[in-house]
Amino acid sequence: MSYYDLDAILTDAEKVPCKFELDVPDLGYLDNNPSQGLKAQTPVSLPLWLAELLALSSRTQSSNPEDSAPFLTLEMPKALSNEVVSALKADPRAVALRDQTHNMYGLATRMLDLFEEPEMCAVLRRTFVTRAAETALHARKAGATDDVVRGEGFLSGLEEWERSLFRRAHDGNKACKEWMEGVKK
Amino acid sequence: MYGDLGNKLVHHAKRAQNLAHLPPYQTELVRAVTREVRDLEKDLADMLESFEGGFDPHADQAKSCTMLVNHLSIRRNKRCLLAYHRTRTDKLEELVWKGYDLVDLPGQQVSSNSGSNLAATDTSSSSLSPQEEDYVRQYSDLLAAYKGQWTDIDLTGSLEPPRDLFIDVRVLKDAGEIQTEYGAITLTKNSQFYVRQGDVERLIAQGYLQKLG
Repeated sequence: MSYYDLDAILTDAEKVPCKFELDVPDLGYLDNNPSQGLKAQTPVSLPLWLAELLALSSRTQSSNPEDSAPFLTLEMPKALSNEVVSALKADPRAVALRDQTHNMYGLATRMLDLFEEPEMCAVLRRTFVTRAAETALHARKAGATDDVVRGEGFLSGLEEWERSLFRRAHDGNKACKEWMEGVKK
Repeated sequence: MYGDLGNKLVHHAKRAQNLAHLPPYQTELVRAVTREVRDLEKDLADMLESFEGGFDPHADQAKSCTMLVNHLSIRRNKRCLLAYHRTRTDKLEELVWKGYDLVDLPGQQVSSNSGSNLAATDTSSSSLSPQEEDYVRQYSDLLAAYKGQWTDIDLTGSLEPPRDLFIDVRVLKDAGEIQTEYGAITLTKNSQFYVRQGDVERLIAQGYLQKLG
């Protein structure tokens, strides 16, 4: 993930629910209320680029990392909530990831860096493998059969990474076909 | 909220990545983001000044939280700005390698509709910022100097092996006289020629000629 990677930057802009652990009089605008200060325990939704470091940096002077107190505490974003994860567990192909967030896997990777969730990790891995196979299947068939209608729902639910996968698989198939035709001549 | 404008800029860059041409430079947006950074910087400096050098981040936690938020917003904006410009320069370099005449093209547009509407040509004259035009010019010079080392190989030539040595071309724009092995030809608009592909490859890439058949 490069500093200049546009998808990484957009993933960083995903909003995450979090709660401030202390009163901050000057940050009312984060809760759309600039005239009043931000009270502790107010639920706000902040982009990841802001929330991550606020959750990681410690506000008290302490050499022991165990009792360091961060400025705010993070929660799992809705795209990775229990409902979505259990839906993915039931059938990875039936969930439109794009409706959750455009950068599902990017967001999940970032969140799993912060949270210890081996089960979610396993579910997402299985999700990607299952969906990648399905994506490749659709990429090969796209434009060739009248089967498109069935796949349309699935394809419009692809998130950004899967889309690029689809595009590459599709282009690869096309180039391969063109090459084969050239050989016969 | 801080950082929203930068986000917009990145969305612009993302869209530009999938386009063949380069969309206009977002002068206003870039200016707004830099202004935001400057405002934040000023806030930070003011806050630091109030401590008169004796700043202890753990003593006033609310203040230090505000400052951290400000600082992160600045960093975020910087990343957005850099990514936006990097995407554009990548694209510009690609276009230079392909042989598009980036600096000349807008100039021709201006001359073709000057007189009729001067105000409009000013805004539509170029999708590049002045700095970007400079960049393209210098990059083209660099590329030309690099290519100059090998006179028998055209590094920016087409990688497709030609099927025929000679091709039919139609002239789309007046390109003046060119010298070939078989003498000079004057390329006037809408005329057709049967010429050696190697002689006109550059002109096709620049959009002066169109290959027929």
